[in-house]
Amino acid sequence: MKLADHAGAVLARLAVDDARIFVLDGDLADSDGAIHFAERHPGRFLMAGIAEQGMISTAAGMAAVGARPCVFSFSAFLCYRGYDQIRVCLSQAEQPVILVGSHAGGLSGRNGKTHAAPNDLALMLSLPGIRVWAPADFADVEFALEQSMRNPMPTYIRLPRKQFALGENLRGNAAAIRWIRPKRPLTIVSTGLATRWAEAVAERLSETGMDVGVLHCLELAPQSGLGRQLEGVQQLISLEDHCCFGGLGALLAQHCPGVPLRCFGWPANFVGKSGADEEVLEYYGLSTQKLAQRIALASTAVDRA
Amino acid sequence: MEGICAIPSRQRIEILSRELAPAALSAEAALLRREIVIALYHASGGHYGGCLSVIDILLALYRCELHVSPDEPHDPERDRLILSKGHSALALYAVLHRLGFWRESLNCYADFVSPLEGHPDMTSVPGVDFSTGSLGQGLSVGVGMALGLRAGDQRVWVVLGDGECQEGQVWEAAMLAASCSLDNLHAIVDCNRLQEWGRRARAADSAPEPVPDQAAKWRSFGWHVIECNGHDFMELLTAFDAAKATRGKPSVILANTVKGRGVPLIELQPVRFHCDSVSEAEHAAILAGMDDYEAC
Repeated sequence: MKLADHAGAVLARLAVDDARIFVLDGDLADSDGAIHFAERHPGRFLMAGIAEQGMISTAAGMAAVGARPCVFSFSAFLCYRGYDQIRVCLSQAEQPVILVGSHAGGLSGRNGKTHAAPNDLALMLSLPGIRVWAPADFADVEFALEQSMRNPMPTYIRLPRKQFALGENLRGNAAAIRWIRPKRPLTIVSTGLATRWAEAVAERLSETGMDVGVLHCLELAPQSGLGRQLEGVQQLISLEDHCCFGGLGALLAQHCPGVPLRCFGWPANFVGKSGADEEVLEYYGLSTQKLAQRIALASTAVDRA
Repeated sequence: MEGICAIPSRQRIEILSRELAPAALSAEAALLRREIVIALYHASGGHYGGCLSVIDILLALYRCELHVSPDEPHDPERDRLILSKGHSALALYAVLHRLGFWRESLNCYADFVSPLEGHPDMTSVPGVDFSTGSLGQGLSVGVGMALGLRAGDQRVWVVLGDGECQEGQVWEAAMLAASCSLDNLHAIVDCNRLQEWGRRARAADSAPEPVPDQAAKWRSFGWHVIECNGHDFMELLTAFDAAKATRGKPSVILANTVKGRGVPLIELQPVRFHCDSVSEAEHAAILAGMDDYEAC
């Protein structure tokens, strides 16, 4: 089950007690999770056509008259096709529309590069007043949606294409920031799907005697607690299903000045690629084995310095 | 910078009768045209042409059609108006100012310390129902408002430019509005037949229309189409009535206008005055020309 499917189901549940909730979809409901809302609340669902720009502005108009619209599509089509509409109708006009982007990040399966969104965070984090969530499990999805409904502001929820077994959650309770493994001098900070990668890498490194902390950052913006949580850490590794520019790594550099930081994610020349997740991750150095090697090397380099 | 404070008194807009409206509106429109050109001069220039072509449409809507109140600019029961051609912000500001939504002078338009943003800003100006400026988005916003308000009596009016209708999103919205049978949504296109620079046809009388065959296009998208003279108040009011009487589909009024209407110097140079600045002498000539125009 994709996390986006869970998002549609959670919204359907929340909508039972909140008549303001409405879902718009850009004709991908069976792929982006909106179908679970549509089936339960057909009168509060609109297939707005393959027209993402219009759909986002339409949602903003609904929000301006009191609704709580949620817009579903693939992240690439929301963030790239609809960026000016997000800029004007959501960010500048301060309208509490929730964008639910499925297929976020660099892993787009057979769809390939046109459907990948490896720099969506750079776009969304640089817009003022947008709340940004990157869930890694089902509990995160519920937490993000419930919090977003309580605090109306423009919101972007980025969700990966990857399927998980229902209930396959990370350890600990969902929160804006969650320690997956206790804080250590060397700590990996990750977000979204990459926290799954971080968990596996930390496990692999521990088998070699290297103990690293893992902090999962669910809420990327607004950001207030990251620096405080990481006090005492001697070296930071950022790991994200995003290009190494303008995403979590940039946030860490801003909030943890002076702490040595190495950023891991998609390289600057990555535009997306068709293929199985494992093949793509291996090629770009983001498989568990390669990440473990790269992080161990980075740690050694800092030790020498 | 802080937003403008709405006027606290229980002031309400006087809805004019159809019989008295045209003459009263003509006199008021002349006053607003003068305020617009003076404010633009203070702002060191701006969109003269489009403000002057759309002002009669906006004034007629606010004076005779919209159920809004300067006393309660956020009343959820009010009608909504979106000026999608946001570069004519000063025309909207002039009407809102005239109706008492706020008191500050229009002459602070686009100043750094002014809440009167260069394009309409709903976060700082009472009476502005949605922020616009990046062309093509307003009709979609109107679709969303009409969807959200369809259970009530409110109507949503969206004013577009004919050049703006080159934006693809306008037609995304047109398609969606028709598929949703939004008869509480009314578009008005300010058809002044010019845009900033056009397709290299610099002479106004030979410039191709920004979007040819607008009526056929809107009809083919499932809209009811009404055409009128956008400077004739009786025709405008009749068109508003026809739009409201339309059932089961959205309606569009193609209002034929003149860019720079009411200012001879600008009417003669509409391409230059899409957005330009004037010298002190030209400003004086503009005002003098308006005196003569009104005297006629």
